[in-house]
Amino acid sequence: MGMSNQIRTTAHVDLEAMIKPLQNICNECDYNGTDDCKPAACMAGFALRSLQFAKQKGILDIPGAVQHIPQSDMKHYFAENIIPALGETCRQCKECQDNHSPDCVIALARTCLENTILEENIHYPGSVFMYLAALRKQDQDIAQMLAAELQRKK
Amino acid sequence: MGKAYFKQKCGLYAINIVAACGVFIPEQFAGLGKAAQDCGVFRLKLTSRQTVVAVLDEAKVSCLEQRLTELGLAVSPYGGAVRAVKACAGNSALCPRALGDALDLGIEIQEKFLGREVPKDVKIAVAGCPRGCTDPLCADFGVVARGGGTFNIFLGGRSGSSKPLHGSLLAGGVHKEGVFKILEHVLKQYDELALPKERLAVTAARLGFEAFSPPPGLLGDNSPQESADQDFLAFLNGKGK
Repeated sequence: MGMSNQIRTTAHVDLEAMIKPLQNICNECDYNGTDDCKPAACMAGFALRSLQFAKQKGILDIPGAVQHIPQSDMKHYFAENIIPALGETCRQCKECQDNHSPDCVIALARTCLENTILEENIHYPGSVFMYLAALRKQDQDIAQMLAAELQRKK
Repeated sequence: MGKAYFKQKCGLYAINIVAACGVFIPEQFAGLGKAAQDCGVFRLKLTSRQTVVAVLDEAKVSCLEQRLTELGLAVSPYGGAVRAVKACAGNSALCPRALGDALDLGIEIQEKFLGREVPKDVKIAVAGCPRGCTDPLCADFGVVARGGGTFNIFLGGRSGSSKPLHGSLLAGGVHKEGVFKILEHVLKQYDELALPKERLAVTAARLGFEAFSPPPGLLGDNSPQESADQDFLAFLNGKGK
């Protein structure tokens, strides 16, 4: 069978749109540009580097990456800084539903961002609408902020 | 192993015709129709294994078989043999939901393994995503694309009988070359370990799935998953660009 295009590449996702708000988070971080900046141990850093890796490789999935998400990032993050980045993951989500993969870079970024402001990760239901509904059950304020972000015109 | 000719109640014969996982080029499809007319075929029926059954008079069977060869089609094997492979339309040119090249892989598996003698029929199904349109968990050997050029392999499914079974995950994150290696290993183990006419699912249940697990080193010392991990971790720690 002829191959007209590749499967699950970054071609249909704007990775740069997700990278930008994450860079904004980094720019406000005290560790940014110092020897103490450790992306592998930082939620924002991990999300940013995952997206940059995907962009460099032209891939949408990084198999096995979810198990490398840092577990001990105790830095304080401000929700108003996180929400634009979280909103962008929702905008870029392709709503794969049954085909959702936690190793998708969009899912990796979202999981990391959740870890900064939520008590628990939300088991992604494969669609943004269902995600907002699940988020509302856990944290109404964050859900409202995210909904407002998603209504904002880009 | 025999070929799939079956005498029907009405006295006619059914011939099971196999194509490339159910894919025909127009010339084959039109040619099959013409051959069916010329050989007096009574009916053609699509099967659940993506094959076509032609029902015709016994005297015309050899005539149709000759025409099939000319069209690049074949009579399906039957009995203790690897059967026609089921594969969905998952590849980069067709199904938009596909996570991997299932159709291409299914066709390659069929080209390599169709008709291979085994203790009892072995049914293989390949799906391009977990939706599993070809019911890979109901096959003796099921393959499901999971993205990144890798596949999950399920063993020991069985859709028929009064006790249908879902297969269990035998290996995850396997690259295409690994799928062939594992299938070869599974068929060898099945040949060695099965009781006469014992289905693979029953052999696996009797001996445990470990009997079919890929041995260390089968997929190479440095698995694709490990390589990918190292690549990503190096980038994460700032050693990549």
